[in-house]
Amino acid sequence: MRLLRPFLNWDGLLATLAVLALTYATLAVPNFATGFNISQAIAGISEKALLVLPMALLMITREIDLSVASMLALTSVVLGALIQAEVAMPLAIAAALLTGAAAGLVNGMLVTRLGLSSLVVTLGTMALFRGLGYVILGPSSVNVLPDALTDFGINTLGPILPWTMIPFLVLAPIFVVLLHFTPTGRRIYAIGGNPDTARYSGVNARRIRLMLFVISGLVSAVAGIVFTARLSNARADNAIGFELDVITVALLGGINVFGGRGNYAGVFCALALIATLRNVLGLSQIGGDAQGIVIGLLLIVSLLASNVVQRILAAVQWRNTVKAQQRDVANAGTTKGR
Amino acid sequence: MNRFKTTILAATALACVVGAPAFAADTCHTEAVKVGFLPKLDTDPYFQVAKTGAEEAQKEIGGSVIQQAPSQATADAQIEFINNLVSQKVDVIAIAGNDANAVAPALKRAKQQGVQVIAYDSDVAAAARTVFLNQANTAQLGQLMLDSMAKMIGNEGEFAILSSTPTASNQNAWIASMKDRLAKDPAFAKMKLVQVAFGQESEQINQQQTLALAQAFPNLKGIIVPAGIGLPAAARALEQAGMTGKIKLSGLAPASLLRKYIKAGDVQDVWWNVKDLGYLTYYAAQAVAQCKLTGKAGETFKAGRLGEYTVGEKGEVLLGPPVVVTPDNVDSFAF
Repeated sequence: MRLLRPFLNWDGLLATLAVLALTYATLAVPNFATGFNISQAIAGISEKALLVLPMALLMITREIDLSVASMLALTSVVLGALIQAEVAMPLAIAAALLTGAAAGLVNGMLVTRLGLSSLVVTLGTMALFRGLGYVILGPSSVNVLPDALTDFGINTLGPILPWTMIPFLVLAPIFVVLLHFTPTGRRIYAIGGNPDTARYSGVNARRIRLMLFVISGLVSAVAGIVFTARLSNARADNAIGFELDVITVALLGGINVFGGRGNYAGVFCALALIATLRNVLGLSQIGGDAQGIVIGLLLIVSLLASNVVQRILAAVQWRNTVKAQQRDVANAGTTKGR
Repeated sequence: MNRFKTTILAATALACVVGAPAFAADTCHTEAVKVGFLPKLDTDPYFQVAKTGAEEAQKEIGGSVIQQAPSQATADAQIEFINNLVSQKVDVIAIAGNDANAVAPALKRAKQQGVQVIAYDSDVAAAARTVFLNQANTAQLGQLMLDSMAKMIGNEGEFAILSSTPTASNQNAWIASMKDRLAKDPAFAKMKLVQVAFGQESEQINQQQTLALAQAFPNLKGIIVPAGIGLPAAARALEQAGMTGKIKLSGLAPASLLRKYIKAGDVQDVWWNVKDLGYLTYYAAQAVAQCKLTGKAGETFKAGRLGEYTVGEKGEVLLGPPVVVTPDNVDSFAF
């Protein structure tokens, strides 16, 4: 039992599942372990991997951001419209990043200054930001983009690693360090664990939450640029429905909906697991609707499994405690007897 | 000399190994190959019917068909499936594009991997595919809808149009061409277009708008509904209101959804044979794989029972003229 303990928590379970899925795919699924397939499977999650970084932090503080995909679309449109107007690319990219940060600031202000629920606020801005995208570009799209951008979207670094994954690989360590190795990270957990205690301990919850919303907007903008490059296309209906995929990854990764719990190890495992599953299902000629069923089932079954595992762990702990007590009592008894 | 030969052989072998992937796209197959169909949407019955046509063609000339599609009709969802089909080593991808340009980079990448690309139903950027199998000439559709309406109401009386949305580009082009012809062609002098309404791609709104038109214009003799959701909805609304036959309907929708109204003579429908589109696409895919079809204007190829086809401008191949579905031919439409 003690040997198994490391695998009996959520992350261990997920990691095991992910490794199992990868091993199975490599050995049993034809055409999985080819450079092209792996490379494209990785490229396909470039944006969602980015978006889940700030989403995890927000969810740990008991907030949520449903507007990430809309901010992605809006920044994509801003980038495209500026390029179409022949603005230099670095400037256009800067403007896209600023737009994302500003959108995040709007979310953050509404939530922290006016005390509104982030679920409601970002549900509203989800429609609002995408709507702004339609106002700017209408239903049309910009698809004549500078070569530098489209090359970034298509080329790989080395034989397999797509360039579109680089922003994630740069940002991910920063988020990991922020959450797991800094005082701010401890404060983020504190806010989600118990907001009142956090407040009485002098944590400026408002400021941290505001900052997280701005970061969410900024990272969505990065994802917007990546998406625009990968699809060589800027339009207002880009990335529709991504927010739900991102939240699914976060939840499956063990980020608690009620805040205060979860870590990036679990999130990254969930990301790898879902990407592998979708790819394998695709290679096995299973269409999109059936894939949705599998991912949905995976989420529910894994939540159930986690409950069961936690109960078993609790029961084991309880039995050990009882045993220890009995031993103590017995010891005490023998001592007395002497 | 011997050593010279060996060197040449080795060099050739090396060139083959190194060169093979790079030139794979130019390989001409001599036997029927594996074709991956990638529709816009997974469960769309339109594409399921097209697939039956592809399977019919596959039985005739061999090879194999697989069909896979995303659950959302978006470009990025489709890109994953393009890559998936490439990984599954299909030789030709036949795609109905969700977005002409956004799928182009992924299709070009597929080509680099030695996979040929053709488009059907909805075109993609011309540079990213060899040919496009187009089901119908857009300009003809509008004229045929007007013609069939004129025939039903005897070229006389008030009629309305119930379109999809005010910004739908196909519908607007059809309406413009109908208005143009109404103004110029003396055969339509006694027909009067009283209103253009919009059903917003919603069954419910289409039903409401149909009844609203009937009430607003008591002398209304017909409605043209150039939208797949709208026409069956309008037919049902008229039926429920007991006005079937009093107001004739014409438009564009799957014939199978209107069979009973068409048979009764109350509705005429402009449509094409969806199964044939899949059949033609499969033949074109095999012709492309065998280098018999490269997308140049004027090229010809044979498509089984459908006969010979000629490639038009920009690599477009037209399935054939759209047909007005009447009580006589309605049973020949599977969809």
